[in-house]
Amino acid sequence: MVAGGWVLALLLAAQAAPVAGVEPLVDQVGAVVAVGPSARIVTLAPDVTELVFALGAGERVVAVAPHCDFPAAAAGRPRVQPGDAESVLAAAPDLVLASTAGNDPTVVQRLRSARVRVATLDVTSCARLVEACHLLGALLGREADADTLAESTARRCASAAQRAGRLPSRRALYVVWWDPLIVAAPGTFHDDLLRLAGLVNRAPAGAGRYPRLDPETLLDPTLDLVVAPDEGENRPLFAKLLTRPAGLRLARGSLPVLWVPADPASRPGPRLPLALEALLAAREANP
Amino acid sequence: MTTLGRDAALVAGLLASVLCGLALGGPAVGPADALSALAGHATPEVRTIVFALRLPRLLLALGVGAALALAGAALQTLLSNPLADPFLLGVSGGGAAAATLAYALLPAALLGAVPLAAVLGAAGTTAAVWWMARGPLGSSSTRLILAGIAANAFTSAIILAVVATAPPVRLPGALAITMGSFAAATPTAVVWLAPYLLVPTAVLAWHARDLGLLALGEESAAALGVEPGPVRQRIFLAAAALSGGAVAFAGVIGFVGLATPHLCRLVWGNDVRRLLPRVAAAGAALTALGDLVARRALSPVELPVGVITALLGVPFFVALLRRAP
Repeated sequence: MVAGGWVLALLLAAQAAPVAGVEPLVDQVGAVVAVGPSARIVTLAPDVTELVFALGAGERVVAVAPHCDFPAAAAGRPRVQPGDAESVLAAAPDLVLASTAGNDPTVVQRLRSARVRVATLDVTSCARLVEACHLLGALLGREADADTLAESTARRCASAAQRAGRLPSRRALYVVWWDPLIVAAPGTFHDDLLRLAGLVNRAPAGAGRYPRLDPETLLDPTLDLVVAPDEGENRPLFAKLLTRPAGLRLARGSLPVLWVPADPASRPGPRLPLALEALLAAREANP
Repeated sequence: MTTLGRDAALVAGLLASVLCGLALGGPAVGPADALSALAGHATPEVRTIVFALRLPRLLLALGVGAALALAGAALQTLLSNPLADPFLLGVSGGGAAAATLAYALLPAALLGAVPLAAVLGAAGTTAAVWWMARGPLGSSSTRLILAGIAANAFTSAIILAVVATAPPVRLPGALAITMGSFAAATPTAVVWLAPYLLVPTAVLAWHARDLGLLALGEESAAALGVEPGPVRQRIFLAAAALSGGAVAFAGVIGFVGLATPHLCRLVWGNDVRRLLPRVAAAGAALTALGDLVARRALSPVELPVGVITALLGVPFFVALLRRAP
């Protein structure tokens, strides 16, 4: 307890210009983040960037990570390298927003050591996305917008789950990459997408969030369908797989692929319900 | 145990690795169904999985294992250095660096050219090592190894730079090349590997006697009619082609090229002509079993085969080493 108290005290002391008398927040990885000014925000991942803009705080974003291309206003912001703490510090942020979906925790730690306030989001489900909305709302002073976005997200996810209840349950894999075969394991937001769409994830647990599977898995007769992001990088690899023995069921159509819009389905941000609705629409068209 | 008994054990091990690879293979078909397919009684789906999916993968593993083990045996004998193998001389590293670079940079539609990049990388590194090792009095074993170490440092730096800067979606594939895998095996890949295995093997078989004499020293070999310079060059190029072909179709698989020749020497002695075929068979069996364990240990999750060959082979190697006189 005593050691924990010292760590807490040091963390609080490291925060830049906290607002006196305001209780600090705890981010989604359990780190304490003091409430303070957020006039110069740097976002280190596309999902976080999309959330900040969705909450109406986009004008305060001074720099973003290289792959932040949505909304259009974010695409025009200066870039920082998320893996390089110096590059982030050069943007003189008073708040840095990171994500467990792609950001290095050691860089986050380095930024904290440099007395920069950093909050990390860890969105592994629609429910966690709702929590992330509230956390960001409190950090950015946009509580009303956060309530609206959180309510809309929760409602859309619940509605999708209700629609999925009318569909037969199917065993599926979420294929992130075709060659090598990389899938989403239980505990990821992709797994939650499958669950909400009435699908049972066949990927094994305990081998990391995105394990590499034996390609023969695609010939397992107990597998009913595959969900995959529809992106340019993945399509040629899929086409190549169709010519191989491992792609036999895919080529014959006995293992259907439900394609979902790539960016909404690959970023655990405000467009995640859109990916879920697209997946459901594909399921309903191919029950 | 007599030599015949040891040979019988080796053949039995090779056959067991083939049978296990076909019967146990991946997660889609159980052993009973797979054995029915081998007996000709299974459904077309099961036969497809066993013969169109598992068999090419098994053949690729056998071929790559034989190639790496032969390359190691040739280089260790040629350079009179027990540490010599395709990795020490930078040949595997050159292939891997070119393959990872191509994988990270090429458009998705051109990723089929990655094996070609690996072969070119291995060939280019071989030429560079040979050039670096040439001094006023020709290339000595020591100079070749030093040049190989320099090439390794350079190619490792390229691989690290690629891994550090590769687009996130390409990272798993780039890492797969550096850790070895037979997941992409196809009948076409087996056909393409064949010349990289058969031609250099024929060269080694042709020069097996010369290689044995070179192990006694260049002067002794020359006195017995061997031309050390050209023979060394041909054997080195054959070993490089074997290693380049292996990296091109399976990525980097460590330990097989280094340890298999030592294991075989402990069992069958140092006669190169007797050793080479046994080294090829042992390397094939070890790699095929390593791939089987990589697929089955956490099935359907697939582990890197290079990790498995090292984890399985090192304790066995140490045990044999400790028992050796």
